[in-house]
Amino acid sequence: MTAIYIQLVVSGLLLGGIYALVSVGLTMIFGVSRIKNFAHGDLVMVGMYLTYALTTWTQLDPYLLVPVVTVALFGFGLLLSFALIRRIQGAPQVAQIFATVGLGLVLQNAALMIFGADFRTTNSEIAGNVLRFWGISLPLSLFIAFVVSMAVIACLTVFLRTSMVGKAMRAIAQDRRAASLMSIDVKFIDMLTFGLGTACAGLAGALLVPLYPVYPTIGANLVLISFVVVILGGLGSIEGALIGGLAIGLIETLSGFFIGSEMRQMAYFLVFIAVLLFRPAGLFGQRGSETLGS
Amino acid sequence: MSTMSTPSPKESIARRLAPVLTLLLLASLMALPLVVTDTYSLHFIWKVLFWAAIAAAWNIAGGYAGLFSLGHAAFFGLGAYTSILLYMQAGVSPWIGMIVGSLVALCFSLAIGLLTLRLRGSFFALATIAFAEVLRIAVVNGRDVTGGSEGLSVSFAPGLVNMIFQDRASYVVLMAAVLFVIGATTLLIERSALGYSLAALREDEDAAEALGIDTIRVKLIAIAISAFLSAVTGTLYAFYILLIEPTTVLGIGFSVEIALIAIIGGMGTVLGPLLGAILIVPLSEYLRAEFAASLQGLYLLIYGTILIVMVVFLPNGLISAIRDPRSVLRRVRRRKSASSRPEEKADA
Repeated sequence: MTAIYIQLVVSGLLLGGIYALVSVGLTMIFGVSRIKNFAHGDLVMVGMYLTYALTTWTQLDPYLLVPVVTVALFGFGLLLSFALIRRIQGAPQVAQIFATVGLGLVLQNAALMIFGADFRTTNSEIAGNVLRFWGISLPLSLFIAFVVSMAVIACLTVFLRTSMVGKAMRAIAQDRRAASLMSIDVKFIDMLTFGLGTACAGLAGALLVPLYPVYPTIGANLVLISFVVVILGGLGSIEGALIGGLAIGLIETLSGFFIGSEMRQMAYFLVFIAVLLFRPAGLFGQRGSETLGS
Repeated sequence: MSTMSTPSPKESIARRLAPVLTLLLLASLMALPLVVTDTYSLHFIWKVLFWAAIAAAWNIAGGYAGLFSLGHAAFFGLGAYTSILLYMQAGVSPWIGMIVGSLVALCFSLAIGLLTLRLRGSFFALATIAFAEVLRIAVVNGRDVTGGSEGLSVSFAPGLVNMIFQDRASYVVLMAAVLFVIGATTLLIERSALGYSLAALREDEDAAEALGIDTIRVKLIAIAISAFLSAVTGTLYAFYILLIEPTTVLGIGFSVEIALIAIIGGMGTVLGPLLGAILIVPLSEYLRAEFAASLQGLYLLIYGTILIVMVVFLPNGLISAIRDPRSVLRRVRRRKSASSRPEEKADA
């Protein structure tokens, strides 16, 4: 019996690792540019479809294509930032919410037009393997996704602490105006941040492909999860996104087991309400950061 | 927001004329069934009125109180499901079911409001999405009561008490009447102390609070009225279509379409939602008829593009372009010069 619980906890944490990666992108974009990207889940979807399409085309294993997809999505993020996101920087809330909602609609329906509404799955030889230890068994693909996610989050943290660009990002997150006075190219860093956030979403998408089928509206689900993660962890906090992601993964798996898989979203919602009631700044958010959302 | 600052004489005339124009428009819409008799046209008119009504209901929260709900389908669906369930299970007339459903939606909107309105920012929008999704999942899983994902269908039993009519003209008149009520409510709000509080709130929340406006109370009133009227529209929809299913009635796509029509027409104006519906419904009908078979998703892709272009370039909606075309040009020019200037209100 204990093996089942260990299995649940471990697979919940592994799943949470991927959620953390998705949410890190969202929280970075919010922290630096104050943009709430309602299309973030759809960017994950784009990453998934790109992996799917490249795999079918090249017949390579999806894991070999992970770097390609990540770089492509970084470029796509820069493009989106240039074409749209910079125009809603500092714009009223309604423009920010509905421009990204509109972007989500466009991406979803472009996917629908290109790939149709069917669920698409990709086979990976690596993904078929199962890890067995301590009496539990885990799909290797989930394990790989977790390890890569953790590594990327660790690299991002180091990058933000040590590199010049990372320091510039943190400076803008603290005080945009002061940062621009310190001759930081705020607009350039904004673009770079959006590119990095999109790359995180695309990477997560590529890692999800061997695990889940992809369909055009999968993003709507993911964006809700990642917003709950980000709010739980504290808006703008990378550590928060990590802990929040792991927590939500755990909650999803446990509630799926004990209550029923359809009711998982109820569990997110309850967490969301609890956070709003008791600690609106999130676990790692600075006090008062809940008002930054405006 | 140009209408909020001291109005120029031209503008004040426009403001005084607006209700007259609205009344004329609605009266002509209500008279349309006398002239138009074929079923397709009547259905089309009903659709325009329906989208105008639900977008106008959204507008009270989104446009006037700045509460950008992305889950209005929930309030709409609560109205539709409550009245249909009361009718099917207990034989309660939809006229009573409509009131009950609207009160249920009102209570839920107050719950969401109380939870999220202490916080600024996008928590409200997020909470409304989450709430609508949870409701959808609950309905899909509560198969025994709600019919699950297949939904509920009402058998065709015409009668005034059943709110089911033989002729479509009656439905059109009924929907026009509801649109009229929503429009009149909006106008009353706009001209009342509540309306001025809302205007102050939208302009500057801190300043409004400093003036002694209880901002949370004002927002709660707006969202409650909006939810109530959305649920009324939901009941009317349910007893016209005679079939409700969770994906159409409670889906996030529906919520986005509601907001989209109000935004395209012009948020925070009485006529905006109607204008939005008059433009968008024919467009969507055309696109669906032309391309649905060959290119599914095209019409939503175009919707999304229109939404992006609108909020970036014309955030006050098409109605602002009609009222004051020069302001649009000014805006575009300002945009051009702004892009060469360092940012000013960066962390707004």
